[in-house]
Amino acid sequence: MMEFYNAIKKENNLSLRFCDIKNKEKNMSFRFCDIKNKEKNVSFRFCATKNKENKLSYIFNIKNNRKRNMRFRRFAIICMMIVLAGMTTYQTGPECVMAKDDDVVTLRVCNWEEYIDEGGWGEDETISLSEKDIIGENPMYEDFEEWYYDTYHQKVKVEYSCFGTNEELYNMLTLGNEYDIVCPSEYMIMKLMAEDMLVPFSEGFFDETIEENYYIKGVSPFIRNAFETNEINGEPWSKYAAGYMWGITGIIYNPEEVSTEEASTWKIMTNEKFHRRITIKDNVRDAFFGAVGAVKADKLTSDSFINDPDYTKDLAEEMNDLSPETLEMVLAYLQETRDNVYSFETDSGKADMISGKVVAGYQWSGDAVYAMDQAQADDFYLNFAVPKESTNLYFDGWVMLKNGIKDDAKKQHAAEAFINYISMPENVVRNMYYIGYTSVISGGDSDEVFDYLNYCYGVEEEEEDVVEYPLGYFFSGEADDTDYIILTQKEQVDRQLGAQYPSQETMERSAIMRYFDADENVAVNRMWIDVRCYNVKNVPVYVWIIIVISLIVAAVFLIRGKIVAKSMKK
Amino acid sequence: MKMVFSRKQLGIPYALFLILFVVAPLFVIIYYAFTNGSGQFTISNLTDFFTNPNTLGTLCYSFVLAFTTTCVCLLIAYPVAYILARSEWKAKSIILMIFITPMWINFTLRITALKEILTLFEKNLAYFPFLNSVIGMSYDFLPFMILPLYTTLTKLDQSLIEASCDLGAGPVQSFLRVTLPLSTPGIISGVSMVFLPAMTNYVVLDMLYNSTYIMGSLIGSYFSAYDWNNGSMIALVLLAIICIFTFFGNNADEDSQARGGAML
Repeated sequence: MMEFYNAIKKENNLSLRFCDIKNKEKNMSFRFCDIKNKEKNVSFRFCATKNKENKLSYIFNIKNNRKRNMRFRRFAIICMMIVLAGMTTYQTGPECVMAKDDDVVTLRVCNWEEYIDEGGWGEDETISLSEKDIIGENPMYEDFEEWYYDTYHQKVKVEYSCFGTNEELYNMLTLGNEYDIVCPSEYMIMKLMAEDMLVPFSEGFFDETIEENYYIKGVSPFIRNAFETNEINGEPWSKYAAGYMWGITGIIYNPEEVSTEEASTWKIMTNEKFHRRITIKDNVRDAFFGAVGAVKADKLTSDSFINDPDYTKDLAEEMNDLSPETLEMVLAYLQETRDNVYSFETDSGKADMISGKVVAGYQWSGDAVYAMDQAQADDFYLNFAVPKESTNLYFDGWVMLKNGIKDDAKKQHAAEAFINYISMPENVVRNMYYIGYTSVISGGDSDEVFDYLNYCYGVEEEEEDVVEYPLGYFFSGEADDTDYIILTQKEQVDRQLGAQYPSQETMERSAIMRYFDADENVAVNRMWIDVRCYNVKNVPVYVWIIIVISLIVAAVFLIRGKIVAKSMKK
Repeated sequence: MKMVFSRKQLGIPYALFLILFVVAPLFVIIYYAFTNGSGQFTISNLTDFFTNPNTLGTLCYSFVLAFTTTCVCLLIAYPVAYILARSEWKAKSIILMIFITPMWINFTLRITALKEILTLFEKNLAYFPFLNSVIGMSYDFLPFMILPLYTTLTKLDQSLIEASCDLGAGPVQSFLRVTLPLSTPGIISGVSMVFLPAMTNYVVLDMLYNSTYIMGSLIGSYFSAYDWNNGSMIALVLLAIICIFTFFGNNADEDSQARGGAML
């Protein structure tokens, strides 16, 4: 019934407002509903009353300012249906709460910058899928407020704010800023879990029979598995965290200058051929991962290692190896890298890649897609390669914070509903289009996400150089599922599609990077400072001699000057 | 008691500002600098700073970078300020304005533009990180050097130079023995406005692809590794260095005026 009512509401561009009033003395309650169509400038008011026996009666009060004609009558009938549908839930709906005007739940959301659809799309940006057209008009968190009220009849106000880095978010939280729901990366989720700062999801959140549980119904089996098998203190991630976007790390390169072979290894960072024409990420975790991959390359690519039955587990262990010997090798490798790369970049790498200043760069898949899209607009093609040693699988996920939720059941309900709302296939497509990253949602029963992929990358069979790109592992959990094969251009496998949805073969060599605990953090940071700082021991001896001589000369002059000044005064 | 308004009360807003945003944070920094992660008193942060070759190296590198930047700024700014101050042009203030105008544009924008220009000349910026940093910083801080120099040089009493010429000094000698000592206050305030920010302004280095840390970025890296204690200690050491410089600067200032006066 609700679905029907939502569909009609959308089709006719109606806005609804419900208002509940309770009269305790007479033991009666009223629900008013105003329906408005802004374009046609007509509005209706309906009222439903409920007495102590819980019996419903309706009052239709039509107020309008237009001549009654055929069109109007049709509109009136539609409205009546909607109201009947909406009002029936008033009696039967389990989530129906008597909403008072001052009863507004505030939901404080903190997310990465530019990491949710903020609306304002142009008409030409409409995404036409087989089932429906998708366009973002308003920021998604505002749409959520409306949806939440329509679904649960409870007003919610979203206070949306942003953070720049995981560390910044962590510092904000430890300084006492309060948020209800935040979206850090996987290692920060692990850290927050380990420090017992998170609220677990309610049981209802995992119930696949509930229609509104879009997250649990839609999350990709591949991601779900990762969230259930990774544990902190004996508890799986999935208990506390719901995925949002995911990606891998790799090398973006200019195929005219760099061969796929050269780009498919982390060792490219020290490749003399690209001296000062390659960039690396300016943060210790990414640099560390790439360096470990490079220094252990021989072992990681050896047949005996790959064919080991415990390959996945061993790989994760190798890539998270923080032993002093590894740190030493990593340090040496990164020092070599420093002397070979163009820059350590936080954001400038994309622009330098597009403008051709550099020919290759360490990049996150989402940013690589963005760079490839931008370059393509100038008829310049870039490729993305995943190093053969290993690739870092990373997530951003939603977690609820203890110091924000504070055992408030209503708040927690709203927070969980927020996750479900942004996991609705339609909203997933909106976010993916807007941000350019890959959502963890595969859509479950709905094929909208896959349709969107086809809309972006699919081609007809008749065209030349068409290849089949199977994505069953992500969409249904079965690698050879014939329903989820995209027909695409051959080049796309090394370009946007390959970066956004890596092949299963690539994902087999992915590893998740753990968070560093306090001691490891100190050691890794010391290593990083060793890479980035000028070491005083490197100062050549002749420089010291020059400094000492000039200091002596300066002192002599100063003293002489004082003596002269004194004698002159006399 | 009736409130009497006195001129002293005008200082209250500033005093409040000073206490809230300068003195209070300073105490927080001191607290963090002398405690360890679990809040116990320690001086190991201080000893760490002076025993770690990397922090010392960073200090040296920042020092050399700042020193070079200051010298370049001084060498460019002094002639400009001197010519402007001595000239009789009516358009003088406009020319001065031209030197100051870049300050009105956000410096990240200016550095981005500079980056493209430098790329034209150098082809690949990564080969000359130190040179680029010096160019970037000099470009950024030049107005701060010109302004104080110009002000001191315009105030300089012309009759003193005439007197030195009358007493037989050549132009070079009168410049070296009269103009230069008398403009020392300008030089000192210019130097302190360029040298100290140049030691910490790591944004310029980041934007011009110099991957070596200076003091500012070193503090940042400690903070992003949740190590507030060592980060605060570095900030404190930097503050101490600034204090020492300011102290010597002021001394030299008085000194030079005494000398300048004595020479007359």
